Amino acid sequence: MAFVIVEPHAPLKTVSVGEGTSALRRAAARGRLGRVPAHLLLILLAVVSIYPVYWMFVTAFRPGDEALSTSPLPGPVTLDNFAYVWKTIPMGGMLLNTFGMASLLAVAQLLVAVLASYGFARWSFAGKKALYLLFVGSWLVPFQVTMIPNYLMVSQMGLLNTVAGVVLPQLCSAFAVMMLRQHLESFPRELMDAAQMDGRNAWQTLWQVVIPNLRPALAALAIMLFISAWNEYLWPTLIMQKSQDLVQVGVRAFLGAEGNNWGAVMAASAMACLPVFLIYVFLQRYVVDAFVRSGLK
Amino acid sequence: MFVEVLPGGGPAASPVQAVAGRAAAARHPLARRLVPYLYILPAVVLLVLWTYWPLLQNVGLSFQDWNLIPTRPRVFVGTEKYAKVLSLPELRQALMNTVVYIGAFLLISVALPLVFALLSRSVQGRARTFYQALIFVPFLVTPVASSAVWRWLFAPDSGTIPAIAAALGHPMGDVFRDPDGSMTSVIVIVGWQMLGFGVLVIAAGLAGINPDYAAAAALDGARRRQILWRITVPLLSPSLVFLSLMTILLSAQWTYPIIDLVTQGGPGNSSTNIYYLLYQFGFRNFDAGLSAAAGVLFFVGFGLVALLFVELSERLSFHDN
Repeated sequence: MAFVIVEPHAPLKTVSVGEGTSALRRAAARGRLGRVPAHLLLILLAVVSIYPVYWMFVTAFRPGDEALSTSPLPGPVTLDNFAYVWKTIPMGGMLLNTFGMASLLAVAQLLVAVLASYGFARWSFAGKKALYLLFVGSWLVPFQVTMIPNYLMVSQMGLLNTVAGVVLPQLCSAFAVMMLRQHLESFPRELMDAAQMDGRNAWQTLWQVVIPNLRPALAALAIMLFISAWNEYLWPTLIMQKSQDLVQVGVRAFLGAEGNNWGAVMAASAMACLPVFLIYVFLQRYVVDAFVRSGLK
Repeated sequence: MFVEVLPGGGPAASPVQAVAGRAAAARHPLARRLVPYLYILPAVVLLVLWTYWPLLQNVGLSFQDWNLIPTRPRVFVGTEKYAKVLSLPELRQALMNTVVYIGAFLLISVALPLVFALLSRSVQGRARTFYQALIFVPFLVTPVASSAVWRWLFAPDSGTIPAIAAALGHPMGDVFRDPDGSMTSVIVIVGWQMLGFGVLVIAAGLAGINPDYAAAAALDGARRRQILWRITVPLLSPSLVFLSLMTILLSAQWTYPIIDLVTQGGPGNSSTNIYYLLYQFGFRNFDAGLSAAAGVLFFVGFGLVALLFVELSERLSFHDN
């Protein structure tokens, strides 16, 4: 990075156009110098953010006799801890089940939300405002307030300790409906009208015109729904009390049993995070955009 | 995002649509009117079935004494459960803790990110993308893993943090079993996950502000501090309002998994929060009525706080139109 010597400047008394621009130039130069502390701040923030994750992997790859080492540097690498986890609990099955659960949930939530948001964005109809308010209002209903009736309902259906019991109550994501409605409201109306002119009905317009044009937004939302489903904790642990088919419950039980065997504990934790991390490594922009965009508007 | 409830009624049916639909409309006027409802139906049915109907059921449960065993009778007890829940010292503790948690997260996921985002604004391009990619990682760590890593970092025998503390001359014990430290530890873990998210949301908000405003103000002789407080922060208010509302509504949810995994609310309820209390009433003490009554009270309380907040922010926030 270039350092620029800032020329000492006389205080401005009369502001002419020329002086105004030179003030701007000086501000820019000061900005370049000022970037050093900004970089330092971001480096500090990045280190604080990443160190625990780094530490998780370092510990997981350490051989048993060095498990309690506090050296921040990685030493000899071994896969012993991962092998131990793999041997002790059915990690492969758990990961597969959780992957299936999260994918199913993301796709179902997306489908339900696409239909609903299309209905809201395309037509005006009686009760539209009130119906939409149902979705907005659901933000105010914390899951813990409805968990007992939901639990009873799943139990009556005989779905306790099944992945279906985890998925069913979450099929409608009010958040996804609201996000997609925003996208659809800004979808060019002319395209829909043109499709209609070509003889497509509303259903065909949705699948042949709207969805292909909305692919990036849908992909970002799907990734976000998948990650949220993967990281969901309360409901899976409530429903799967006697089953260990999902990562959240299976790994939790393993961590409880292993106590301070940190190498194994970190290896199991790392595996529980791995799919989401892989998605992040390959689709970083999508992931950040999806989560952060949701915070805009 | 959910601050602006409705962006006006939807666009009216276009003439083209009217022409295309006329034939069908003549034959099935009712069917045509039903179409939008059919698209919305699955979502509404699911929402009512799994959110609003349970909410009503929960109100019903709050007037009953029942231990969640299907074969046992449900006894109507009037408002007894409400009276009981309000007299419980645990509730007062959990409420106070929840307020402290919210305050802490307003600091960690709104105020600190604002400072960080403003101070690091000058870093752009690739470097910025790189830092942001790292800063966002904790947000993606699944709760079982983040709790495990932090238990290891805080482990009294050989964890990194006690080792550093001891080297600095402040030996510390097991922070999770310390009534004065357990809540702080939960705040540290959840704060670690939320800080980066806040920074990115505010940085994105900053990036969306038209730099012309600041440049124009600078030409007019405004000082940097004036530009910051009179232009940048007001234009950022939608992002700030969103983050604050999210923090107020959701911080009890964010802390729930970590409380359950790390401290179980203890020691002696020192780190519990209201949602963890609901869980304990329902699924540890099997007192459905008590959990439901507390749930109804929190739902109403949070609803009022949220409405008040939306109202306030509508008055205070500043839109760049």
